Amino acid sequence: MQNNILKDSIINTIINYIQEKSPRHAKKLRQRLGALDDDFFTRSEAFFSTYQNILKVDNKTLEYGTDNYLQMVNDYVFEQVRFMQSGVYSCTSFEDAYEQVYSKPEVMEYYMSGLIMSQFLWKHHYDMFRFFTDNLSAQSGNVQRYLEVGGGHGIHLLEAIRMLGNNVHYDLIDISESSIQLAKKFLNGQPVHYHLQDIYAYNVAEKYDFITMGEVLEHVEQPVKLLEKLHAMLHDSGRLFITVPGNAPAIDHIYLFHNQQHIIETAANAGFEVTKDLLLYSEDVSEQEAIEKKVPFLYGAFLKKK
Amino acid sequence: MENTAILNDLNEIFKEVLDDDDIQLNNTTTANDIEDWDSLAHIQLIVAIEKKFGIRFNSMEVAGFKKIGDIISTIQTKL
Repeated sequence: MQNNILKDSIINTIINYIQEKSPRHAKKLRQRLGALDDDFFTRSEAFFSTYQNILKVDNKTLEYGTDNYLQMVNDYVFEQVRFMQSGVYSCTSFEDAYEQVYSKPEVMEYYMSGLIMSQFLWKHHYDMFRFFTDNLSAQSGNVQRYLEVGGGHGIHLLEAIRMLGNNVHYDLIDISESSIQLAKKFLNGQPVHYHLQDIYAYNVAEKYDFITMGEVLEHVEQPVKLLEKLHAMLHDSGRLFITVPGNAPAIDHIYLFHNQQHIIETAANAGFEVTKDLLLYSEDVSEQEAIEKKVPFLYGAFLKKK
Repeated sequence: MENTAILNDLNEIFKEVLDDDDIQLNNTTTANDIEDWDSLAHIQLIVAIEKKFGIRFNSMEVAGFKKIGDIISTIQTKL
């Protein structure tokens, strides 16, 4: 192997398995992940080890997770082809996404599992996670109350707890019961209050000092409305961290963000301004090539109230 | 359409999309044989192939393309 990927690591085992099923994708993973530092491998080993143990409880293995991941990647490739031709996402309403994804347990099963694997198989997901962890302390100020919206596998919240300590009040809200159950498994034993609820129906007396919302805005029809809700729940001196993919067709992505500026303007319309941000692409390409070929991007930003 | 005719058309598409005039495809060519045939190029190639032949692949077909012969046989079922 050409790079840092340790021979006896879990991630190497995963990539070798992918090599058998999809050599083209394995080539990309080796190119993208091979140059990452020791910190990546330490974190990815811990993450995949945790996921391996979670799967084991259900008599499943990481091969099962990897098969799910590859199925998700196939969906992405196909959606990307159609996006190149049409310029729009295949789902344009929540109803579409519900019909094609959320209401189908067999689709949700592989899709959620695939997304978990992508946290450390996709370099831009890891780089964005590092951006969050590297800047959380400096950007967060004095945090007493912390909220995560749509927690997924909980890795961002786990890191926040590690950095901000146990004296902070942590809430996690998600509209999906399976997502909450998943977060509970990854955050086992952590001081988190879980809320299975629609964010619009979630009302708290005390505002938050910090809110994190990773890869949620592209799933809603009215992103400004959602950001306005978060604005109302955030202290005037608070911070919001969001990540948002754009030009990134997926089976349940509804709202198409065309570029970084589009997201900044959306946040501004809800009363936010950027304090620190990062733009990443899903492929190793120049910015010009990324724009020409509509390469998916991931934008992350710490925001404050205007 | 003959296998050879489709192969010739694919060869031209690969040369153009990957910007490499030295590409010589055959039925057993895979991504391992062509350095620039990566995941991003794959999407561009599928788009170009669908346009050239006036066809649409489904997601299972696209996922199943491991070698050039797979693409040729799928194109033949649609012409």
